[in-house]
Amino acid sequence: MSDSNAIVTNDLHKTFKSTHGFLKRTTRLTEAVRGISFSVEKGELFGILGPNGAGKTTTVKMLTTLLLPTSGDISIFGMDIRKQTVEVRKKIGFTFGGSRGLYGRLTAIENLRYFAELYALPPEVSRKRIPKLLEIVGLDGRGEDKVETYSSGMQQRLHLARALLNNPQLIFLDEPTVGIDPVGARELRATVKYLQSRGKTILLTTHYMAEADELCDRIAIINKGRIIAMDTPSALKSQISPESVIELKTSHENLPGLQTLLAKLDAQTKITYHENASKQVARIYTLQPAIVIELLSPWLNTDLIHNMEVRNQTLEDVYVNIIQGEEK
Amino acid sequence: MASFFRLAFRQMDVQLRMRVLSLWSLGLYFIQPAIFSAVSMFLSQAAGNAVPDLIYTVLGGGIMGMWSGLVFTSTYDIRADRREGTLELIVGSPTPLRTVVGFRSLLNVLAGATSMLAAVLVAVLIFNYSFSSIYLPGVIFSFLLLLFALWCMGVFLANLLAWSRLSGTFVDLLELPVALLCGFMYPISVLPDWMQSISVIFPIRWGLEAMRDCLKGSVIGAELTMKWLIALGISFVFLLLARWLDGKVHDHIRITGELRSV
Repeated sequence: MSDSNAIVTNDLHKTFKSTHGFLKRTTRLTEAVRGISFSVEKGELFGILGPNGAGKTTTVKMLTTLLLPTSGDISIFGMDIRKQTVEVRKKIGFTFGGSRGLYGRLTAIENLRYFAELYALPPEVSRKRIPKLLEIVGLDGRGEDKVETYSSGMQQRLHLARALLNNPQLIFLDEPTVGIDPVGARELRATVKYLQSRGKTILLTTHYMAEADELCDRIAIINKGRIIAMDTPSALKSQISPESVIELKTSHENLPGLQTLLAKLDAQTKITYHENASKQVARIYTLQPAIVIELLSPWLNTDLIHNMEVRNQTLEDVYVNIIQGEEK
Repeated sequence: MASFFRLAFRQMDVQLRMRVLSLWSLGLYFIQPAIFSAVSMFLSQAAGNAVPDLIYTVLGGGIMGMWSGLVFTSTYDIRADRREGTLELIVGSPTPLRTVVGFRSLLNVLAGATSMLAAVLVAVLIFNYSFSSIYLPGVIFSFLLLLFALWCMGVFLANLLAWSRLSGTFVDLLELPVALLCGFMYPISVLPDWMQSISVIFPIRWGLEAMRDCLKGSVIGAELTMKWLIALGISFVFLLLARWLDGKVHDHIRITGELRSV
């Protein structure tokens, strides 16, 4: 194992056992993680992407010592999480998405002081670090306010400040921008970038492809507890062919008509259908966008096609391709 | 050592402000014991006693407040941390959960002592109870022993609560049976033998008996010393069980993933 690695996981498995029924007890096993192996270098910003229930949070909880793997190994800065649990905890910080995990009736500073004591920070360090952290996450001036008065975005930023209390070299951010508005999410991403520029190693899980594309040095896409792709965002994007994407929006009623029209395209053109904000979206992946546009042009000002957009493939397309390929 | 006391202060400070100072606690520490005391006085009158025995009726209400406060606050603590998502942050920190639970239980026990203080004030100010014939050093020692016994049970119960989401229901069910078995509001001798046999495992029964003996004027002798030693011994057993359970709980909740409520 290299000294340059912050995280090394090897064939990680996690199975949850649940029992049901009162008189006739039945046991159900759920395999949340099925053989995940990856490593993260010091200073790297590593992203984990995947649909709901893919095993992202379970993986992060194992890495942060909150869950024990059923089998497999995890090493954090060369330390075994089973044998050196407390030592690992001193070196990491973590946040989980959502507004839970804070004492609402206490102020932000009181919350941070409370958690600082759990990390045995000397008072002189806490006194200096807490205002600095509030400034980093953009909460300076609000430290004396009760947390229950905070918006979701502010709570999320306070979570980040809490995770940084012990000046960890490795930070786990589990869906840090979930449920917060675009401005708040942008500010949080800026903070994450700042932390990486200060040499922190960061493991981020997210649903948002643009976020992963913007922030991550490398990305692992996981589905059903397995890593199905892992590379840099640009390498992942180049894995799929350089097709253009033509995105059409139509109403639910006009979808069959659009499908009939698109059936005229040649067999090599790939089409996927999605529902997005009550609109039906058809995505056409093609190497010859001009031919497709020519076919569609007579219908552009009709009810059949409400909107058309031509673009290059994004990480989201890669993600959808990989996940749908896996499902098939 | 300084960091230990800082941690103790912070835990107890947050516990006091988040959990103890509330209308719910007011009911638990003062109103519920007052109802128990009133009912027990009526029962005593109905049984033909012209003057109710304040040791059982009023001070019994005080100990009821201490016990209920401990059970419910300990139950509520872990449940609330689980619900609010703070339990996994505490478990994921370098500080052991047992240390956090220990300081919180200590505050819960000290807060519960206000219930006994209120009961004593009621006995003196309203019922003109005289403390002239009591064995004061024995009462003080027994009371401290009672606090220690409650703390040991509190630490044990809190660990039990961390075990699973369902264990809170079990602990809720302990409140009244333990109060009845330990004879909070009547002499333990009125219970059938089999019930008395069960109650020997609770250190509060022995601490309470010792305190009552001292309130009635008993001085240090073989019987009183034995009660103190039994209370102390069983309390340590609960503490050792809590220590053993702590390691098991730490592994168990990390296997089952029950650090959060869903």
